[in-house]
Amino acid sequence: MVNGKFGKRLLRSGAAAAMFSIAMQAHAQDVTNVRMVLWPGPEGDAMQKVVDTYNKGQGTEDGINVEMVLLSRDDTFAKEATEIATGSSNVDIYFTATYNVGFFARGLQSIDDIGLDTSLYFPTAIDGLTIDGALYGLPLDVSNHFLYYRSDLMEELLGSEEQIAEFRDISEKVLGEARDPKAPEEWDTDDYLAAAAYFSRAENEDSPTRYGTVLQAKTSPFNITLWDDLLWGLGGSWTAEDGSANLHSPEAERSMEIFRTIYEERYTSPDSAQWEYGETNAALQAGSAAFALQWSAAYAELTDPERSPEVYDKIAVAPMPGDPHSTHVHTLAISLNKESQNKEAAKTWMAYLATPEAMDAYAKAGGIPSQPAVLKDNTDINPAFDAIAAHVQQYGYSIPIFPGTFEAMTALTEELSGGWVGVTDIDAALEQANSRLEALLER
Amino acid sequence: MTGPRISPLLITLAVAIVAIIVNLPLIGALLTSFKTDGAIVNQPLGLPLPMTLEHYENVLYRAGYDFPLFFRNSAAIAFGTVVLVTLISVPAAYAIVRLKLGGQWLLNAVAAMRLLPAMFFVLPFFVMLSTAGLLDSIWAMIIVDTFLNLPIAMVILARGVADVPIEIEEAAKIDGASAYRILTSVILPLLAPSIAAAALITFLFTWNDYIFAIIVTTSEARTVTVGVSQFVTSYGILWGDVSAGVMLSVVIPIMFAVFGQRYLVSGLASGSVKG
Amino acid sequence: MTSTTTGALARWVLSAPLLIFLAVFAVFPLILGSWISATDRSILSTTIDFVGLSNYFQTLSDPKFWSAVRFTALFTLITTIATLVFGFLLALLVNRKFPGKTVLLTVLILPIMVAPALMGIMFRLVLNADIGLVPAVLNRFGLDLYLFSPHFVVNLLVVLEVLQWTPFTFLILYAGLQALPQDVFEAAAIDGSSAWRTTFQITVPLMVPAFFVAGFLRAVDALRTFDVIFVLTGGGPGTLTSTLSIYIYKKAFIEGSFGLASAAAMLVLLMVVPLIPLVIRRVTTQVGDVQ
Repeated sequence: MVNGKFGKRLLRSGAAAAMFSIAMQAHAQDVTNVRMVLWPGPEGDAMQKVVDTYNKGQGTEDGINVEMVLLSRDDTFAKEATEIATGSSNVDIYFTATYNVGFFARGLQSIDDIGLDTSLYFPTAIDGLTIDGALYGLPLDVSNHFLYYRSDLMEELLGSEEQIAEFRDISEKVLGEARDPKAPEEWDTDDYLAAAAYFSRAENEDSPTRYGTVLQAKTSPFNITLWDDLLWGLGGSWTAEDGSANLHSPEAERSMEIFRTIYEERYTSPDSAQWEYGETNAALQAGSAAFALQWSAAYAELTDPERSPEVYDKIAVAPMPGDPHSTHVHTLAISLNKESQNKEAAKTWMAYLATPEAMDAYAKAGGIPSQPAVLKDNTDINPAFDAIAAHVQQYGYSIPIFPGTFEAMTALTEELSGGWVGVTDIDAALEQANSRLEALLER
Repeated sequence: MTGPRISPLLITLAVAIVAIIVNLPLIGALLTSFKTDGAIVNQPLGLPLPMTLEHYENVLYRAGYDFPLFFRNSAAIAFGTVVLVTLISVPAAYAIVRLKLGGQWLLNAVAAMRLLPAMFFVLPFFVMLSTAGLLDSIWAMIIVDTFLNLPIAMVILARGVADVPIEIEEAAKIDGASAYRILTSVILPLLAPSIAAAALITFLFTWNDYIFAIIVTTSEARTVTVGVSQFVTSYGILWGDVSAGVMLSVVIPIMFAVFGQRYLVSGLASGSVKG
Repeated sequence: MTSTTTGALARWVLSAPLLIFLAVFAVFPLILGSWISATDRSILSTTIDFVGLSNYFQTLSDPKFWSAVRFTALFTLITTIATLVFGFLLALLVNRKFPGKTVLLTVLILPIMVAPALMGIMFRLVLNADIGLVPAVLNRFGLDLYLFSPHFVVNLLVVLEVLQWTPFTFLILYAGLQALPQDVFEAAAIDGSSAWRTTFQITVPLMVPAFFVAGFLRAVDALRTFDVIFVLTGGGPGTLTSTLSIYIYKKAFIEGSFGLASAAAMLVLLMVVPLIPLVIRRVTTQVGDVQ
């Protein structure tokens, strides 16, 4: 094959690698290696810095070396599912979240005994990681949604009689009632729809942006949560008071109609049927949309002069449209593998991570820790921290947490995304979604 | 070979257009990999000016992503798989096609291996490899990739053996040559182009395997393809970094293809064996 | 064709590596996988119980399985035929002398070198309406296509698959063209046969085995299509573009039901296996036998 030299070089580098790893082992004799899965991006980058600090400092005292394994999002959970299904002890600490800790619980060990001060955290984070009274995850990043909007365009609209009149005409057409434009902080779901129409060329030739908003309508389990915000914002929920599936409610119907109207009337790009986080940012950065429902993590990118040169100084955030304003909240976490061979060392590391000092370092490195006090202390690093802490506490809700939560997110997106973009009938989609949710809840 | 008289330059033009169209994603990756983040979102058509090497730096030197290691792993895995696949499939293809081993059931069975969705084998392989203590090792990936690519190599080589004129072989047989002798001194040289094609394809598919690389490797044996996918983060995609990663990930396959293709073409041209 | 007597032992010796490899790494996982398909192995349950064929019945009665079967079958059929046709035309075009041939040959097969998983991400970039190269170029020409809208997305996926894999079929068919006996063409040229007649009456029949090789290799991979579609559409909107691999992936990794996933995979195998001997027989035909 190829040539002999290549083979020799390969052998040589293999031998070098072998010698290197022997040397490493000799050095690492009295050090316990703790392997932790995380995903890349802001969380992984931030954690890497905390890990490095620990390995060089406290870790040498504890006799622990933490090794991070990064995988992209879908792959992280696929790999963890395989590991857990086969009872593997390959990694010590899994990456989990409030929406799937129940799914993985069979392979996890409770961490009640690491001495976590739960009062430091958002209650929603602790609640979401508790199963049958036992805590199964150490909360890391908290995620919520904001309404990101172009403050320059909103100011112009609210300050011009002419534009207000135009807005009234368009809202009359879209909602059946003439409305005055309001500041985004005060929007309910109908204001959101009317504004989407107003800032779309399909409805308003003079619109400064081509599309009013951006739907994330791809069949990805995370996209259902943005639709959920409208549902909750109308007073609805996945479930009724008695805990049974309740997706044939009038609120669910109305949030379907709003998404579908936005899609079919082209208040969002027709391409958004396959869009998610990245494309939403791109549309805002390129100036083709006036506002969008988007994750809190986008704030850093959208307000960065280098990454968003056209709009960085014109992007503002408001609560999600609704009455009450409602944002989905989930918390990422790390959990202990029940089969881990290094449980004590892993717990020592997790206890270290739970300290406000470690979370402070995590925040400074770019993470969004779920300790409100740490967020407030670091607003000079990320101005969104204030808003995140406030929105999570005031507007945050959690979708029902049960072993099938993540499966339900997937199933509901699968059923409803067709309805959003006009492929399936709204009522049929809701009916299907409701019966799948019911089955998962009953299991 | 005859054909309608078309100006050679016109053919160059036509082929070049096709080449550009099929390579649009790579052209996009190339341009994007040198653009600043701001230019990526604002100038889809613009050339990468000012040019930045930031994304390449991110890919190669970012903490937590050991790309030099990923490259060594991918190269060792792809190289090892090509060797193993070739050693297994060349004699077997000859045995099946010319020595009529068990009719064709064996070839059918091997070909069928590629039909099962990868997800079927994920759990069994994970269990086997972890029992054998091979998880996260280069050997594990060589085994898995050999498994995945044997069907392809067998089909190509079976075709190649069938293409070798039977008269040449029979002449050798009359001279009293054994089956092994015929394989090594008569068939092998004539089969070289097919072996090159099978090796090239095995190399590429191994280099590009994704789902098994995710499941079987953790850190020590991580491959380039999986490494690049790390720039698809929980929140969106780092377009510039992924593009730089994609460009880096195709460098070695391109080198392999350039050499492999020359061998392929010259083998075919010099042979004229089929006439 | 004479069967050899010297080969009696040799054929076993020569195929021993293959047989050993298959026994260890194919038969065993196959048995283990089949066993899993007959259990309720799931990430949610602590016990593993034998459930017989119930996973198979459950899969067969799932309309989503059948819609994945339909989509995958159509997708495979259309893309395989299209890549064969375009690959062959391209091979005919390239099979002449022209300037820059060596370089262009290499450039032509570049798309095969990009991992499908990464190709999907690159498609998301170059096709993005706001930041992508392709829509920007189309806009220049006054074209405004919504590539990802539900009406178009299936076509888009087909086009992308054909774009990435035509170079692959081209490579195999071009090699096949090179291997054809030249004397036939010389004879045809002397007879004054027209180019089109030569192509259809001589080249195409001689190329049948190569078509089967290329078609088979494309079809088996199109049947397993996962990465590009999963990255671009996640199988949606709804389950409009859900392939069998996406269906099985979701069963295994999102529902955590490895039993159901394995049963569905076995069903795929059972549905396609009868077709294999038909193809393989063609693959091993001697060139002379075709005429």
